[in-house]
Amino acid sequence: MKQTFGEKCFQIANYVFLTAAAFTMILPLLHLLAVSLSSPVAADSKEVFLWPVGFTFASWKHILQSSGLWQSFGVTVFITVAGTALSMLFSVLTAFPLSRREFLLRKQVMLGIVITMIFNAPMIPFFLTVRELGLMNSLWSLLIPGVIGTFNMVILRTFFMSLPKELDDTARIDGCHDFRILFQIYLPLSKPVLATVSLFYAVGYWNTFQRAVLFLRDPGLWPLQMKLRAYLTSPEELAQVNMFLGDYNFNTTTLKAATILFASVPIILVYPYLQKYFVKGSLLGSLKE
Amino acid sequence: MAELSETSMLHPGVTVNKPVKPSYLRNIRKHWMLYVMILPGILFYIIFKYIPLGGSVIAFQNFQIMKGIWNSPWVGLDNFKFIFTYQDFYHVLRNTALIAFYKLVIGFPAPILLALMFNEVRKMLAKRFLQSLFYLPHFLSWVVVGGIVFEVLASGGFVNAVRGWFGFEPILYMQQEQYFRPIVVLSSIWKEVGWGTIIYLAAISGIDPTQYEAAVMDGANRWKQTIYITLPALFPTILILFLLNIGNFLELGFDQVYNLLTPMTYSVGDIIETYVYRSGVLQGQYSVTTAIGLFQSIIGFILLWIFNRLAKKTGEGLW
Repeated sequence: MKQTFGEKCFQIANYVFLTAAAFTMILPLLHLLAVSLSSPVAADSKEVFLWPVGFTFASWKHILQSSGLWQSFGVTVFITVAGTALSMLFSVLTAFPLSRREFLLRKQVMLGIVITMIFNAPMIPFFLTVRELGLMNSLWSLLIPGVIGTFNMVILRTFFMSLPKELDDTARIDGCHDFRILFQIYLPLSKPVLATVSLFYAVGYWNTFQRAVLFLRDPGLWPLQMKLRAYLTSPEELAQVNMFLGDYNFNTTTLKAATILFASVPIILVYPYLQKYFVKGSLLGSLKE
Repeated sequence: MAELSETSMLHPGVTVNKPVKPSYLRNIRKHWMLYVMILPGILFYIIFKYIPLGGSVIAFQNFQIMKGIWNSPWVGLDNFKFIFTYQDFYHVLRNTALIAFYKLVIGFPAPILLALMFNEVRKMLAKRFLQSLFYLPHFLSWVVVGGIVFEVLASGGFVNAVRGWFGFEPILYMQQEQYFRPIVVLSSIWKEVGWGTIIYLAAISGIDPTQYEAAVMDGANRWKQTIYITLPALFPTILILFLLNIGNFLELGFDQVYNLLTPMTYSVGDIIETYVYRSGVLQGQYSVTTAIGLFQSIIGFILLWIFNRLAKKTGEGLW
């Protein structure tokens, strides 16, 4: 098809704009990487853009020796693994009956769940409920109060409903009960969607912040994002050394840059491989049937 | 119904002796496992969603943590009367409403526009590459994004360095009131605009291609095709997402504002959620802050109700 002059101009402008905008998505991260690998003098004198100036690993070496940071890293890895496992178990167990015609309450229960999407639990009563349950200052407070994400559960339900009905009929002839139908027939067929939803949960747990702010007072329990926030607001703590004593090849600017990247590295690393699952999954979550 | 008769054929004799039993009892006997499966899920929604919703009644009490919800004295509308005479409340409400309004006016159309622009990219490889970059920030936490924003806008940061090239003085963006709201709006667009296109792109790919072919026959160019075919086809999706958005109009997201806020910008940036956290969770003013939260939900529901009625006049509403 022949393009008019105006359409050609638009095409070029469109590419230029989109490419420029797309690069602003990644530039800040590259800039931080450059800062984290630069000498403190260069980092504070606006010399560093996308390439390190006065190249040094000192900031990275320092933060990677910080026991506080590793402790929070450990907490985050734990809640990501345990949380994702728990969330998947309970989400599957909830989504499956809601996808079955044989479950007579499915419309009522589904309505009850959708209502909670419109009316969010208010912060203070939610806080008091969790407190009342004795979950304050315990890692359970990061795992249990959000164990089912409604959006993720709906993705699973939509997928279960899309599987052919003939599956169960054959299963029932073989005398399978509902648990076996779920675990031996449905789940093996749902691997891609299970992977997608697990990833959504895992990213959510990795980025857990608000619940940690609400429920965890003991810094020893803080997940990585919370620790990062503490370091960003009082970076002296991150430096942990008396700056007067020696001439260190880092300062709070380079340390902050390194710590921000440290907290997002796992996501940035797995992202390119998993992106296509995320996109597919996000579309399955639409409530329209 | 066909299904029921089929299953009873497979299990002859199970119900033969009790033919008058209501069908749901039979159903529960046969599929009790489904009810067992969903039990933890139902408990979860009751405990962590409905009990806190019901717990909003402490807005009408003088809630004291030692006495609990059953023994705290009832005070009627006193807490609401209090917040409406309270200067801080108007401040916080104003900040919340303004930021919410900017986010809606600028932030809501942004992914629609971007999706239409993506739609004009004909080279699949280029499209996919650009999309991958646009989706990335969605997966970063607000702590990380907040850190990036502070870093990039610092006096020695990227933006001020670029200003320096042109001979401008550096600006302390994060410490000055007039920049706070634009920063909140822009950073949330930066983080979510790409991810927001997905649903619109899916809707666009569902449009019948023969419509475009017919338009081309009639001599419509790309612009006219976008205005007269693509946009109208997107309208139902836009409407639904708008309605879902408007119900949470005043809920801006705690993580974002909390991570961008400093005491220097409280006067313009302190929103309901950060205020409720500080004076509720940290200072123990449970009843007053719950009243504020309830007020916020009621506003959200009224907006949703109004816009849903309007939506039903033009097409389809949420209910």
